[in-house]
Amino acid sequence: MNRYFRELSVAGALVLLLGLLGVVAPQFFELQPLLSRLTAQVPTLVLTIGIAMVMITRQIDISVGSQFGLCAVLAGNLLAGGLSLPLALPLAATAGAAMGALNGCLVAWLGLPSIVVTLATMVTWAEVLRLTQQGRFINLPAGVQWLSLSQAAGQTALLAASLALLAAMAWLLKNRSGGRHLYAVGSDAEAARLSGINPKATTFWVFVFMGALAGVAAVCNLVQSPQVDPKCGTGLELKAIAAAVVGGIAVNGGRGSLWGAFVGLLLLATINPALTFLHVEAYWEKAIQGLVILLAVVADGIRSRRNAS
Amino acid sequence: MPQTTAMKRSQFLHSLLVLPAALLLPGCNKSETGASAENAAGAGKKLTIAFMPKSKGNSYFINCEKGAREAVQELGVDLLFDGPTNTDPAKQNEIVENWITLGVDVMAVACENKEGISGALKKAQEKGIKVVTFDSDTTPDARSFFVSQATAQGIGEGLMDEAARLCGEEGEFAIITATLTAANMNEWRKYIEARLAEKYPKMKLVDTKPCDDQKDKAQQETTNLLGANPNLKCIMAICSPAVPGAAEAVKQAGKAGAVKVLGLGLPSENRAYLKDGITQSVILWKVADLGYLALHAAHALGSGALKAGDTSFKAGRLGELQVDSDGAIILGKPFVFNKENVDQFDF
Repeated sequence: MNRYFRELSVAGALVLLLGLLGVVAPQFFELQPLLSRLTAQVPTLVLTIGIAMVMITRQIDISVGSQFGLCAVLAGNLLAGGLSLPLALPLAATAGAAMGALNGCLVAWLGLPSIVVTLATMVTWAEVLRLTQQGRFINLPAGVQWLSLSQAAGQTALLAASLALLAAMAWLLKNRSGGRHLYAVGSDAEAARLSGINPKATTFWVFVFMGALAGVAAVCNLVQSPQVDPKCGTGLELKAIAAAVVGGIAVNGGRGSLWGAFVGLLLLATINPALTFLHVEAYWEKAIQGLVILLAVVADGIRSRRNAS
Repeated sequence: MPQTTAMKRSQFLHSLLVLPAALLLPGCNKSETGASAENAAGAGKKLTIAFMPKSKGNSYFINCEKGAREAVQELGVDLLFDGPTNTDPAKQNEIVENWITLGVDVMAVACENKEGISGALKKAQEKGIKVVTFDSDTTPDARSFFVSQATAQGIGEGLMDEAARLCGEEGEFAIITATLTAANMNEWRKYIEARLAEKYPKMKLVDTKPCDDQKDKAQQETTNLLGANPNLKCIMAICSPAVPGAAEAVKQAGKAGAVKVLGLGLPSENRAYLKDGITQSVILWKVADLGYLALHAAHALGSGALKAGDTSFKAGRLGELQVDSDGAIILGKPFVFNKENVDQFDF
């Protein structure tokens, strides 16, 4: 019962916030804008799934925003050049996976700290993006937006697909040996090795998967508007990491669930529109988000001290 | 003693070098020779001009850079181009410090944070480096001249008047800005609000939201604003990525035409929305000309052709431009483009 305390308390905070909105600003729940708001979070959700897995393995990847931007621009240019979406999606995922593989090699086999490695690749990919794209927006051909469906159908499809991905990955992490390996490596890599797990391979593949998800997330984003902004990935890594941390993914590895990270994302993504609907000045947005993250980290600190004593 | 000797020797060598040069200059009388020779030597040395946008990844500043490079070709100076990848005031200070260490001749900087960068720029001035700002200013004591795309007043009032015209001078509107710390946008907002209070009593500014200079964030903020303020009649987007972002949100909400969209942006990024009648007006100056002018001003300041107190100055193909008493060099009046004229622009 205590096991899901964190997930439940974040969900409780979310319910309170939604309840407040229901009383003060019921128009928040109008269907069409609500659907647009939720769909806008799909790319961040896809990234959060990946980043949660990376963090469970006791690593971090701050290059995902840059990977996302590069994949978005690559896919955007391919689509603008006439390639179809069913081909652009796997290519974007492959490009992301390749960037993830570089991170994974450097972290797993050279033993470099992931924060430093991914800081370096974050800056590198951001500069590559800037030099190649020069800030130009990419105009996508008609028919890419909403996967050629109607707006509402396209939004529903994106939401359904991302929730299916979340459910599948959450199940795999919890119930399959490959998923349990992430927790084992994140808790104690040496113990994991002695019990027959290959921590290096596990770490490597987690980064590769993260990169592939960055590519998928980028495509989930670009189908939502007729133009690609090459800066679309900027800051996304922080949003995904914040969602994971708030949702109870332990910063020092080995603990947390994807459903928790999902609830963390919902809470953080609700704060910003809530402030608009409650007519609170925009100055407060980042302060409040920071406070929520701080609360989560402090709660983690207290928990691990209690466990230690 | 050895120092003095060395100095004397160098002075002697110097006079040997400049003497023939002075003799070659026609029409110089003796008292002017020294100064002319020095000028000639100054012109012979290539100026190093350092040029910094707010953000290197923004297409607005990439167009600025194009204009700057055109001026570099004309003037034959060395250009150092650097800036934050995304808007980042701390990174700007870091780059200024690096340029001080390198000892550049002139810096041209588009400032993200007005006060935040003034310390570093003053330090540069103390080291003898000349400073001009462009696009958005620092505090006046930290630079010699500010190259302005238009006056903040001209932009603020232009935006407000256009919004009022689109709304029939009544109703609610909201602003999307880049960040709440962006100095130039805060100036514009001040004039927007002043104009609103003075001329349009039936209009109401309901909210101002930052979009972090990103289209997708502007789209999300606009979706929220439309939901939270059902009587909204107009979205005013005052940073370039926010204009298409706001337009996309209005389109998705099915409110095209009912909610007007206007803003400061690039024609190329808004063409489709203008033609579809989702965005009504986009206001802008010729961006490349701003970079071109900034570099010309930096060069003129570095070479001594432009000095404090000058009231006008000639900037290459732009001709003679006015300099106001605050040291602002104004590029000209902003331009409103719409459905009809957007195809005349290629940037």
